[in-house]
Formats: sequence, C-alpha cells, structure tokens
Amino acid sequence: MTDLRVNVTALTKDYGSNHVLKEIDFKVADNEVVVLIGPSGSGKSTLLRCLNKLEEPTSGTIVIDGQDISNPQTDIDKARENIGMVFQHFNLFNNLSVSENIALAPVELGKMTKEEAQVKAHELLKMVGLDDKFDAMPASLSGGQKQRVAIARALAMKPDIMLFDEPTSALDPEMVGDVLKVMKELAQDGMTMVVVTHEMGFAKEVADRVVFMADGNIVEQGSPEEVFDHPQNERTKAFLDKVINI
Amino acid sequence: MKKLFSLFLVLTGLITAGLMAQQQPEQAQASKTYVIDTDVTFPPFVYANDKNKYVGIDMELIRTIAKEEGFKVKIRPIGFNAAIQSVSSGQADGMIAGMTITDERKEKFDFSTPYYSSGLVMAVSPKSKIKALTDLKGQKVAVKTGTAGADYANSIKDRYGFTTVTFDDSDNMYNDVKNGNSAACFEDSAVLSYGVKIGLALKIVTKPTNPGSYGFAVKKGHNQKLLKMFNEGLAKLKKNGKYDQIINKYTGSKAVSKKKQNAKESHTVMGLLKQNKKVFLSGLAETVKLTLISIVFATIFGILIGLLGVVPNKFAQGFSAVVIYIFRGLPLIVLALFIYNGIPSLTGNKIPAFVAGVVTLMLNEGAYIAAFVKGGIEAVDKGQMEAARSLGLPFNKAMKRVVLPQGIKIMVPSFINQFIITLKDTSILSVIGLLELTQTGKIIIARNLEGFRVWAIVAVIYLIIITILTLASKGIERRIND
Repeated sequence: MTDLRVNVTALTKDYGSNHVLKEIDFKVADNEVVVLIGPSGSGKSTLLRCLNKLEEPTSGTIVIDGQDISNPQTDIDKARENIGMVFQHFNLFNNLSVSENIALAPVELGKMTKEEAQVKAHELLKMVGLDDKFDAMPASLSGGQKQRVAIARALAMKPDIMLFDEPTSALDPEMVGDVLKVMKELAQDGMTMVVVTHEMGFAKEVADRVVFMADGNIVEQGSPEEVFDHPQNERTKAFLDKVINI
Repeated sequence: MKKLFSLFLVLTGLITAGLMAQQQPEQAQASKTYVIDTDVTFPPFVYANDKNKYVGIDMELIRTIAKEEGFKVKIRPIGFNAAIQSVSSGQADGMIAGMTITDERKEKFDFSTPYYSSGLVMAVSPKSKIKALTDLKGQKVAVKTGTAGADYANSIKDRYGFTTVTFDDSDNMYNDVKNGNSAACFEDSAVLSYGVKIGLALKIVTKPTNPGSYGFAVKKGHNQKLLKMFNEGLAKLKKNGKYDQIINKYTGSKAVSKKKQNAKESHTVMGLLKQNKKVFLSGLAETVKLTLISIVFATIFGILIGLLGVVPNKFAQGFSAVVIYIFRGLPLIVLALFIYNGIPSLTGNKIPAFVAGVVTLMLNEGAYIAAFVKGGIEAVDKGQMEAARSLGLPFNKAMKRVVLPQGIKIMVPSFINQFIITLKDTSILSVIGLLELTQTGKIIIARNLEGFRVWAIVAVIYLIIITILTLASKGIERRIND
C-alpha cells in the first residue's frame, strides 16, 4: 500500500442539502495517470479540488503521500507543495511576468534562491516550448500559452502529483493540442496525474485508468479499453454515446 | 499585515501622547486658567475684529474680571451649540456668549448675575410695509437657532399666524429677509442695531420687547469658585465704572463710526482677501493639516479593517463588517459630536477638538476605505488566490504577493475620491469648534455680514486645494500603474 499516492475513503461533500460527493473511495498509485470523466455536475471537479483541499470535505479521509490532509492538524500549505494544480482558467498571476509566475512559490517558500528559480524557469519554459515568453506578462499570451505556463508554474515546486481541472476546456480548438502534448510528455516521464477532462482521445491514449462519475458516485472504472470499448453500466454507455459519436 | 498593524499602534500611541501633552498644562494650572467657550459670531457681544482678535462686550468683561480676580482664561471660539455641549460635558469650564438666562437652561447650568439686559426687536427689509406683529399673518419669519429670538418667535407664531424658518447663523438669517424669502426676523436689539450700523440693509420696526438677561454660565454644580469670582468681579466693575466704559465702547456712537470706516475698506473681494489674509491662511492651514493627518490615519485604519474583512476567519470578518456598518452608517456630524462631547461625558477625560476631529474622520472615512479595500480584494478573481494557495503559499503570502497588488490597482481611483471627500468633510468639523476654513468664513461673515463674497473666497480656496490634492493623487496613481 505504500506506493499509493492518493487514498480517499468515504469522502462526502455537501453544499447544504445538495450532496455533491457520496461516500467516494478513490485511489491513485505512484506513476499512475487517472482520467475522471462524466457529465457536468457529476462531482469530478469537486473530487479533484478535495485532493488539495481547495474544497473542504464534509466527511471522509484523504491521504496524500501517506499524509492525512483531511485532518485539521495537518499543515495543508506544506502538503500542497507536493500537489501541483492546473486550472481551467489558467489563473496566472496577472501582476507578475511569466518567469515571476514560475519563480514566486519556490522562492517565497525557500525552496530555491532567486538565481536557481530563474534557471528552473528557463528549463521549464523550454520544456513547454515558451522560453521566448520569459519576460512576457500573462495578458499578452494566448490561452494555450497561458496554460502551458501554468503547467510550468506548478512543476516548479517539483510536485509528486499533478491535478488537472479541465485544462483544455477554456481553449480555442487549435490551442488544445499544444497543451495535451505537454501533458502527454509529463505522463511519459512518470508523473502521477489526476485529470478531469472532456478530451476522450487524450483519455484513451494516455490514461492508465479511466473513472466515470455520475451524481456524486464513481459508477464505473477500468482501463481505457474496458471503459470506452466495453462499458458495463447503462449511464456510462449513454454518456459515451453523447460525447464520442458525432 | 503585521507591519501595518504595528504602524497603526505607534500612530495611535502618538495621538494619545499628543492628547496627554495638551491636557497636562490645563490640569497643572487648573486653579488659575479656565477654559471659556464662546461663539464669535455674535457682535457686538463676541466677534473677531479685523485683526482677528476676539472682542466685544463679553470678551472685555471676562478678561477684565479675570484680571481683577486674579485668574486666567483661555478663550475657545467654538460656536454657540458646541459651547453649550462642551460646558455640559465638562470639556470647558464656562461659557460667555450672549447667552440668555432661561429656566430651561438653568436645569443644566448655573448662571452668574446678569451682566446685560436686552430686548428683542423685529427687523424687516427697508421697502417692507410690515410695521407690527399683526402684519405677519401668513408670512415667514427667519430666526437663528438656539436664540431667544427663535424662542420668542415660536411662542407667538400661532397667535399671529406666521411660520418660522431656522438658520444657523445671523448672516443667513438676515439675507433671507433681505432677499424677501422671509418677511421679518427677530433678534436681540443690541445685535440688530450693530448690524444696521455697519451697513446691514434692514430696518428695525418694533421697540425692544420680552427683555432677557445675559449671564455667564458654568455646568450646574461645577466650577462654583469661578462663578463666584465672576459675580464679585462684575460687581466691582459696575462700582468702579469700568462696566459702563465697556458697554459704551461697543454700543455707543463712537464705536459705530469707527467700525463704519473699517467696513468701507473691505467690501470688495480683494479688500476682504487682503484684510483677512492671516485668518484665511490659518483656516487653510488647519484644514490642510486636518486633511493630511486624517487621510493617513483613515488609510491605515481602512486598510486594516478591510483586510480583516477578507481573512478566512469568521470573527475577523464579522468584526470588520460591524465596524464598517457602524461608522459608515453614522452621519459625520453625529459621530463628531458624539466623540467630542459624548465620550468625555462617559469617561470624564477631555479630548482636544483636533484629536476628536482626526478620530472622527479616521473612523468615518476609514470605514469607507475599508469597504472599498474589501471590495477591491474581492474583485480580484478568486482563481488568483486558489492558484497561489495550490502552490503551497500561505494565505498571507498569497494575499501580499498576488491578490493585494491587483486589488490596489482596482482601489486607487476610490482612494483618490475618498481623499477629496475627506478634505471636504473637514468643513463639518466646525461643529466641534475647529477653526478650519469653513469656520473661519463663518466668523468673518459674522463681523462684516459679507456672506456672498466671503463664501465665494472660501469656495475658491477649497477648489484650489482639491485641485492640488487631485493632481498629487493622479501622480501617485500613474506611478502605481507603471
């Protein structure tokens, strides 16, 4: 069990009388790439946001890297240093340049000196193909560029796990490929990833496991072949019919 | 944020220290120096002469009596209503301001033996056909708030079928009659005679009636020694003839001709400006000082309270919301009077008017600043905070490095706006007797009755400093946005 990066048991999340997550059990192994799919309102983004406690769970335990982050005693800031997150709307810091976006957290948290962070920023920007944007301000970037910088920013903290919350949903179609390519490379390098996405092609190609959620429950999960080619549950079938067959 | 907080504490400490420093000499010499409040808009009893010295019957009496009896007085020209309140709350030891002795006032004050008896007269515009009270049916009558004239008018208005319009100072009351909005006004005979003599275009049509007596007042049951000295001194002055000299000086024909000359010199804008240059400058200096100090405190207070409103702590958020609700909700004038008069009544500690003024503006303008600081921070996309926190940055660092820099840009125009409002709001502090620009204007007008020209000068001065303040703020805004 020690190679479990994520171990969630009996996680529930209520907004008043609205039960968004219903006793979810969810595990992610080291190096595993898990893709969460499902109709909107199924709770997949909420589950993802509970994994770094951007959402406060109503009950249940969330253990990340052996640390129980659902325990209020746990230093959540410390835990988050190891959990990178990429948002649908990028959320680049608008007041900071691209390199400052990347260097802010490592320098503020004493992980790197300013010089080291500069080197790291160059290295990461090269990786996502944007080294020429080193001094650019976020407002001057396209959506796809912003999202690649956001990935670089998350990676600068050298996390063990990366969470992706619909990373391509806000992008123009021609930008999606660049972002998926970076994510694919990350997966190939062995990063543990949990991805909420509507990109079924990406899921098929990259995911080790696909999890289908509906109404706050995990309805079905398995390898991409199992879920996409031989779905067992009627709801999964109905969902896939709508998303894939156009 | 901690740095800000300690800065706030230091500044609060400084204010308190200043307060103590101003208080101590008063306490140390309590047996000798008395604080006497007055209203310097009531010639010929109390007014500021063209050299801005406080003169008039009341002033000469209190000073001469003090000399006779061996005590000192510190005169504060804070206005009639403010004087009443500061004496009853213990901020001042006594007041002398042409105050009529009434049974109602006797419940709160102990009065000296009367030092002047006067009657009320009615004045109308020179062309008016009104000659007697019976002509007032269906008309409006102008009165000045808190005066015996107002009480008299209200007591007879039903009998004679007129209505009253209340003004805060004599000049506005006279103007209302001159303009024909009101048919007549009631005022003390000595006061109205003075006005007519210096060129007020009204005529007095009735004989003095309803005689009233003016007295020096202390808070009921307090400062009895001072009251006794006043009475003894007054008796001495009446005996040795000095009393008659003083009365003659201000109501006799000699005084009038002298004043007429003075008055002629200063009825143009340039003349007024030249003659009152010193007074205007000191009023302007007070307004600027008050504005700048208040802006600093209100900004610090506002940012602190605004930040408390966004920290993830229910208690802090609630505290911030309540502070904003209370101090934004209270009218500035109520807050000023409460702090200046109310707090000393509760605690027994005097507050200098300037400190009370700064505290008032800090709380009121600060509450507005807090509201837009909070709003500015909340206007920054929530994703910015989430992204910063997701990287492991603690709340304070995320706020300082990511959210605040963006929020401040949103807030800058509101800050500039609030600074200008603060400058204008200092004028309201004339109610607690601060001699700032507006109060200065009132005092000058009380002497020369040149309302229109003096207010025009005051207005232009305000516009000039607002322009300077705006330009300075815009400069800062440009620097922030670069």
